[in-house]
Amino acid sequence: MSSRDHILNRINANKPELLTLPNIDASIFDAGLNVMAEFIKKVEVVGGNVLETTSNDAVISKVETIFPDAQIKYSTIAGTEAFNTLDLTTIKKSQDLEDLDILIIESDLAVAENGAVWVSDKQLPLRVLPFITKHLVLVVSKENVVPYMHQAYEKLSDTSGFGVFIAGPSKTADIEQSLVIGAHGALSLTIFVK
Amino acid sequence: MSHSQLASIFNKDEKKVDWHDKALWFVRHKRDKSVHEVKNWEELRNLGHGIKAHMLSNLDVYLKEFEANANKNGVEVHWAANAEEHNQIVLKILQENNAKKIVKSKSMLTEECHLNPYLEAEGLEVIDTDLGERIVQLAKEPPSHIVLPAIHKNRHEVDELFQEHLGTKPCDGDPQYLTGEARKHLRQKFIEADAALTGVNFAIAETGGFVVCTNEGNADMGAHLAPVHIACMGVEKIIPRQEHLGVFLRLLARSATGQPVTTYSSHFKKPADGKKMHIIIVDNGRSEQLSRPDFRASLHCIRCGACMNTCPIYRRSGGHSYDATIPGPIGSILSPGKDLKQYSTLPFASTLCGSCSDVCPVKIDIHAQLYKWRQIITKETPQPFIKKKSMEIMGSIFAKPSQFETVGKIARWSLRSLPKSMINSKPNAWGKARDLPLGPKESFDDWYKNREANKTKND
Ligand code: SF4
Repeated sequence: MSSRDHILNRINANKPELLTLPNIDASIFDAGLNVMAEFIKKVEVVGGNVLETTSNDAVISKVETIFPDAQIKYSTIAGTEAFNTLDLTTIKKSQDLEDLDILIIESDLAVAENGAVWVSDKQLPLRVLPFITKHLVLVVSKENVVPYMHQAYEKLSDTSGFGVFIAGPSKTADIEQSLVIGAHGALSLTIFVK
Repeated sequence: MSHSQLASIFNKDEKKVDWHDKALWFVRHKRDKSVHEVKNWEELRNLGHGIKAHMLSNLDVYLKEFEANANKNGVEVHWAANAEEHNQIVLKILQENNAKKIVKSKSMLTEECHLNPYLEAEGLEVIDTDLGERIVQLAKEPPSHIVLPAIHKNRHEVDELFQEHLGTKPCDGDPQYLTGEARKHLRQKFIEADAALTGVNFAIAETGGFVVCTNEGNADMGAHLAPVHIACMGVEKIIPRQEHLGVFLRLLARSATGQPVTTYSSHFKKPADGKKMHIIIVDNGRSEQLSRPDFRASLHCIRCGACMNTCPIYRRSGGHSYDATIPGPIGSILSPGKDLKQYSTLPFASTLCGSCSDVCPVKIDIHAQLYKWRQIITKETPQPFIKKKSMEIMGSIFAKPSQFETVGKIARWSLRSLPKSMINSKPNAWGKARDLPLGPKESFDDWYKNREANKTKND
């Protein structure tokens, strides 16, 4: 017998009688959040920054003032092609993105209760981009911020081939529990809400 | 060695024990603050428990559903009955892809299977990329905590390790500098890697996808750069539907560190163009644990570490004292199921205070299971002479109220009157590093009788 069948048979023989699957009633967790205020608070808790904006142009000019020394830059938001110093079509392997300073991506879903922002294959030409970049900038519309994870998954019928909730810059506290921002992923996270 | 023998090794460095105790209690505290912000947290725990209990009762069906969907997504699924088979499958995949350099993100399962030494013996380079895991890998030690692998090491020890292995400058243990150097060192490893290995936090039957949670971003750096991604999971990582992630992602990080969610919750479903994705589903004793009605709920565990952070024994004995991949309260109910004799002292490494069960996000009755293992162990494994005898004596004292009363009187008198040197003498383990309370003049029984008598007098 293959290991597969062996494992499945044993589980079938050893499992208890079928128990019912509980229903999730998301309304009982609803504390009536002020969604935007909570989102901004939680992004700060997880180590990110939130800025308000009105247009993609305003995002670009703000990014250029925050990171004046950035050399290698890439943005996927509409109408900002002039900002890019990188042509992804010439990138043969993800490893060549190692020196990317700034990446700007637009997201269509964010969560107030934990400051997480969703990005997926739909926005990412290459999956490693939001992790390998030194600084990550995300743009999200106010109407796309939902209160809790339950509502986020209602919207996420298709997570595409790869998708990730990002809450703040990468971090670690593995040396004596002291928090250090900037582990393997981005060193900073700036979120623009429009 | 027994748990208490190993604990006494950790206890030699009193300052370190104090730090360890306080640091973990602080994490427990952060967890409390974070969960109190969630409306109906207890209901969320009930859901976590209910979904996992249902999953176990239909596990074979969900595993098949998961496999079918993963295959449709272009992911290759493998099955391993035990650790050895798991390791062989990993090696085979690596050889087929001519992979020599492997980066690994945290996976307790690969620790359980002792994958690293197996691959190293085959001449492969395996690099743990979670900072804490890298620290213990350089120190040639196992992790001592499932979320905070290097919690037993202080900053100066890390400083020395990095000087020796990464050529860093002496920095008086500056965490910022050391983390920065580790980032540079591991960046190179990510760039060069031929294959990436990750664990799995949740595998979704409905979609065939799986979720990996990290704070450092190491799972993603590995998986998206290397041409091959191998994800290893125990059979119990399955959840039926994607919407259940809403429950578990809300529970996990808050329970683990008090964060509202981990920095990255990565949802892998299909390999990127031109890349390969493999999933290895591992039993290694889990189906056996499933057969034990009293203990099967231990398979609900989502590895948050909260039961360790809160445990008064774990905090003072350190993770290595459990001599098992999963330490702490949850480890103490999982390990005896694997080897009752080897782990026979673990269920006794508890005060049965129940704090673990109170914080567990999936409501495992951990302390009740510890108690049940004790019943089995005392019957099935030989107990130390002193323990056996003292239990017999206690039993006979408790059996007769008059005897109990007399012994109580003597004990109270002794605590009041004997010199400390005698009370805290060697045979009394309770007198180690602490003073016993002064014996009260009257017993509870006397106190109660007096009170009742006074009541009638006053009436
Ligand atoms: S037993 Fe519960 S508290 Fe302990 S690690 Fe597992 S899920 Fe967390």
